[in-house]
Parts: sequence; structure tokens; C-alpha cells
Amino acid sequence: MRILVVDDSSTMRRIIINTLNKLGHKECHEAGNGREAVERLTTTTVDMVITDWNMPEMTGVEFIRALRSNDTTKHLPVLMVTTNASQDDIVEAMRAGVNSYVVKPFTPDTIKEKIEASMKS
Amino acid sequence: MEIPEPLIATLVAATQEVFETMVFKPVALDADADGPRSAGPHIVATIAFAGYRCGFVSFCSAIDTAQEIAGAMLGLEPSAVNGQVTDAIGEIANMIAGTVRTRMAEVEPPWAISVPTVTIGSDFATIYMADVARAVRVFNMDGHSIAVELILHKPL
Repeated sequence: MRILVVDDSSTMRRIIINTLNKLGHKECHEAGNGREAVERLTTTTVDMVITDWNMPEMTGVEFIRALRSNDTTKHLPVLMVTTNASQDDIVEAMRAGVNSYVVKPFTPDTIKEKIEASMKS
Repeated sequence: MEIPEPLIATLVAATQEVFETMVFKPVALDADADGPRSAGPHIVATIAFAGYRCGFVSFCSAIDTAQEIAGAMLGLEPSAVNGQVTDAIGEIANMIAGTVRTRMAEVEPPWAISVPTVTIGSDFATIYMADVARAVRVFNMDGHSIAVELILHKPL
């Protein structure tokens, strides 16, 4: 599966990509914020997006709204990986169009389970 | 002002969870240690929070310890970590503060947290106003000392 990982922390992108590689997802792309990710998706086709919430220039929630308002990306499964985990945060992310939600810190098993949930929803 | 004990317990549990799941190096509370800021270059990553409670959560370690932590997070040898230490330690502070925020939001109104600020240097100290409450907890990670600090001040 081709996955775009969006996070302003290069460390967190690497941790997520290492986890995805171990889970068998070898084709991973990266972007440092929502705006970069929108641009990347104009030239790169992916099957799924994993995004952080708090990022400069365009947040994860703004990015998801942008995805959902574009005909070519509106059905793309999106998994949010973030420290924002209050009930209000989760409701806001779901309203923006996120398919599933992982709270940092996470285990590889959680990522695997949530990827599967995102693909089904 | 005093820091409520459940808040300190949550900070300790959050630190242990972050190290176990994201650094793959368990940390043990070390009540007798002085902490890592005794000599040499150090790194401090700070997250501010505001809302029902206001203050800071800081993570501190020696630079060589930070290099080990970054290497473990990235799946690299510590010597191969190049330029990613500040980002990795900032992310550690972010996850600790975020976990504390999430746990506390289950029992009291939520706070907002900032992005990390990371300071690297030697022989520096942070001076706080007199009316803040401060708690420092020192942990042992494979023989390395790390510290997590909580500063609480009156809501804005």
C-alpha cells in the first residue's frame, strides 16, 4: 500500500515510516505539513494518508478539509496520529473527515489495527 | 501553590509510557539522583500549557543521552544520529505533555499545549517567578539520568 505520512517532526515521520515498513508497507512518501502534502498529492498517487494535527502553515484538520473538498482525494482514507486526544479534539477531527485516530505514544499493533479500520470505513 | 499529587503521578506515568513505547528503553524513577544538569552540555525541551491549568513541562538530559534517545527512536546507532536530536527530544517533550493533558482532561477541564522549545548549552539555569510551584522527577535510563520538570502557575 502507498502511504503519505504528514508530520512537521522528521523524527515522528521516521518512526511512523519505520513502523509501516515493519508492517509491510514499503512505499511511503513524506510531507512536513498540510500544504506540502496537498502539493505532493497533485503529483503522487497514494492509497492512504497518515497525518499529524499540530503543524505549521496548514494543520492536519485544515489538510483533511482540503482533501475532502477535492474530487480526486475526497475518498482517501485518513488516519490521524496526534497528542490531541480530548473528546472535543476527536469530535473535531471526525467532523473534518478523519477515518481513524491514534494517540501518541503508540505501538505498532495500534497503527496496524487503525490502518485496517481506516481502510474499512 | 502546590502541585496536586495526581498531576505528578500522571507526569511520571506519561514519561514511562513514552519511553517504553516510542524509545523502546524503559525508565525507572530514581528518587536519590540529583538529575542530569550537573556538568557538560545539556538539552532541555519545554512545552507550555494554558487553560484550566497553566505552566510548563520540560524534559532534560545530557547531550550524549539525547543522542542515545534519538537513535533508539529512529532505529539508528547513536553515532549515526545527525541533526535530529533537537527534533527527537522536542517530540519526547510533546508526547509527555500531550499524554498528561489527555489523562488530566478525563478528570478536569482541558488545557491547550504549545509546540516545543528546545535549548542546548552548558552552564545555564532557568529562573522562575516566586509564585510558581515546581516538581522535578529524575529517571534512570540504562545508567543515564534524565529529568522531567513540571512548573505550575496561576491561571492567566
